[in-house]
Amino acid sequence: MLRLLFWRKTRTLLNTLSHLTAYERVRNAAFALAGLALLAGLYLLFYKMLAYLAKVELIGQLLLWKLTAIVMLTTFMMVAISSLLTSLTTFYYSFDLKFLMNAPVRVRDIFLDKAAESLFFCSWMIALVQFPYILALVRVNHYGPDVFVAFLALMAPFLALAAAAGMAFTLALLYLFPSSRTRDVVWVLSSLSLTVVYGLVRFAQPERLIRPDALEVVADYLSYLQAPTAPYAPSWWLTAGIQAAAAGHYAVLARQAALLYGVTAAVYAGLVALAGKVYFTGYSGAQEGRLRRTPVAVEPFPEARLGLRGELAALFWKERRTFFRDVKHWSQILLVMGLVFVYLFSIQRLPLDNADLKSLVSFLNVGAAGFVIAALGLRFTYPAISLEGRAWWVLRSSPVTTGAIMRQKLLFSVIPMTGIALVLGLATNHLLGADRFSAWLSALSLLLITWAVAAMGIGFGALFPMFNVENIHQIESSLGGFVYMASSLGYIAATIMILAWPMQMHFQERFGRAHAWRWEIVASCAVFFVVLNAAAFVVPWTLGKRTLERYEQ
Amino acid sequence: MLEIRGLVKRFGDLTAVDRLDLTVPPGEIFGFLGPNGAGKTTTVKLITGLLKPDAGSVRVAGFDVATRTLEAKRCVGLVPDEPFVYPKLTGAEYLRFIGELYGVPLAEQRKRIPELLAMFELSSWGGELLESYSHGMRQKLVIAGILLHGPRLLVLDEPMVGLDPKSARMVKEILLTLARRGTSILMCTHILEIAEKLCGRIGIMISGRLTAVGTIEELRRQARGESGRGLEDLFLSLTGGHEYSSLLRHL
Repeated sequence: MLRLLFWRKTRTLLNTLSHLTAYERVRNAAFALAGLALLAGLYLLFYKMLAYLAKVELIGQLLLWKLTAIVMLTTFMMVAISSLLTSLTTFYYSFDLKFLMNAPVRVRDIFLDKAAESLFFCSWMIALVQFPYILALVRVNHYGPDVFVAFLALMAPFLALAAAAGMAFTLALLYLFPSSRTRDVVWVLSSLSLTVVYGLVRFAQPERLIRPDALEVVADYLSYLQAPTAPYAPSWWLTAGIQAAAAGHYAVLARQAALLYGVTAAVYAGLVALAGKVYFTGYSGAQEGRLRRTPVAVEPFPEARLGLRGELAALFWKERRTFFRDVKHWSQILLVMGLVFVYLFSIQRLPLDNADLKSLVSFLNVGAAGFVIAALGLRFTYPAISLEGRAWWVLRSSPVTTGAIMRQKLLFSVIPMTGIALVLGLATNHLLGADRFSAWLSALSLLLITWAVAAMGIGFGALFPMFNVENIHQIESSLGGFVYMASSLGYIAATIMILAWPMQMHFQERFGRAHAWRWEIVASCAVFFVVLNAAAFVVPWTLGKRTLERYEQ
Repeated sequence: MLEIRGLVKRFGDLTAVDRLDLTVPPGEIFGFLGPNGAGKTTTVKLITGLLKPDAGSVRVAGFDVATRTLEAKRCVGLVPDEPFVYPKLTGAEYLRFIGELYGVPLAEQRKRIPELLAMFELSSWGGELLESYSHGMRQKLVIAGILLHGPRLLVLDEPMVGLDPKSARMVKEILLTLARRGTSILMCTHILEIAEKLCGRIGIMISGRLTAVGTIEELRRQARGESGRGLEDLFLSLTGGHEYSSLLRHL
């Protein structure tokens, strides 16, 4: 039966691909190329970084493997958290569940079918980024293809294990708390706990461990580098397996592989057994809606007080209501708040004792904060159009233009993102004590990046609308989401490259160089900057608007 | 009120709507019948601006849907075959949202929203999230939504599906009253009894083409049938549906 369930998924995929229009094929191919370009860029970045570490005398190799272990641990955590967010919708709110539960299919088979779906959506994008890293590692150390093959072979159980954590939590949550109100409270509290744990780990300053001056003797540092990173976590089993393949110790590789595959098989056997007992109870509870007894009141929209009128006020009001009533968004908001605090804490703890360095970091902060903004855009802005879902007909058949809908979505997204950008930009500059020029340049460019990334989010969201998905993570982790992220990061990198010129002249002036400012270069930068931003604001928006107007539901 | 001229819609090699011409004057209830996949829902989507035609035009109250889109949409109320609505809005909020989108004055909304909720027996549910509504309740709410902004053309795709007998009866009365007041109504339905009782004229669509249009009597004449035959027999005769008996052997 499971084979039949997987067959329908394969057929669905093949049918989707074979029914793409010529325009969709060209569009997807063009943007897939952009994604490949991003992966190539990441590969170059990783290669440079790993090549630099490999050259460190005596401990170069230790550093490489330590970093690899940390990367794998981070990957494990990211997939586990992503699975936590994906599993709830996939297991309990998928469109086809009514049909499947009604069909003579064993609950355990349905669970495995949904587990495969969940695993794919929570891990494919994170896993994809591992490829350039491992390729760079192989190239830097001149390893043979067997290392890459070992990585591929071990990656599958590794990702499956990471995803199992989220699945197990979701199964338990829905079984233990069938009442929707309790479940919502537990869900938010779990997210809050995760945020607190994340904050606590960061506030413990683990970076002290990788700074030799923080340890008393060199021997401590060496033993830290040689020690396994989280030896009981699957990330270490994977790292040790790749390391064994690199060293030609195939017996060790086989042992690590057996460990990963064995534990994965045991964990999934346990999950399947558990699902047989609790999955249906949880599913049944998830079907029960919650009664609110909200009083019926027809009052003017509060948005009118902000100067919004007519349809824009109505659209904004609807967006606000539907967004904040979805408990899944609350957990994301909590995580974002935690992320901002940790970000500022990390800036404050940077060991900078030089005013020039502080100003430089203030400028480079544009890139780091821009990345945070792009990640938020992927989570909140890019899916905004697709989240209209199957109720899209309401807006499409109403007397509202596509442009007005997109403008409202942009406004709803850009307000909190501007707030976060201001906190990340202004607070960072304040904490660093950057000079006035660097502080202004970084703050203003971060603001512009935020608005451009938000406009791109709505534009790309309209260019790749997905009204028939059941899970926001399917939207984020789609080709369009990947393209949006790649384009945003490309835009941020280009902005930094352009602004690096005036920044360099500013530093030359600080260091006392006469006639540091070359106005023809400043003018060129201004032109590049305007062209770049015009492209970022206009191109995805226009293409997206056209696509949405032609969208046939 | 509704004028369709040479309307064509293709999906790849399939012509879903093929050179459709149709006029529905003010106050008429026009029934749209046809087998599954005949192109009825596609036509509804073309009229309401959900799809773009490949050729031809649709005019609502004199406004071309392709060029005067917003003016045309302001005059149309749609009840789709699947009443998907925002699960995180309450019933009253949904009506409030619709009222604002279609420019219904706030004072009128204050008066009409509780009235409409009461009319469809949704008063006690008005403050509940739509995710807890049944299919029929959502259907009633969507109908309440179009009554709130009072369109000049109503387009209904299977409006009675999911409604309990009392609500279905009420919707029929509402449609007749609206038609008497001059509202044009285009209704797709598979329930032939409803079409027979409500519709002034009926159009039968097969493979994207309107193969027969007229009153029940005119259709009977077209089908060369003797008077007294029900619409079901006429429908089967016009769509070739009598062949079903030969198919029953597979049962």
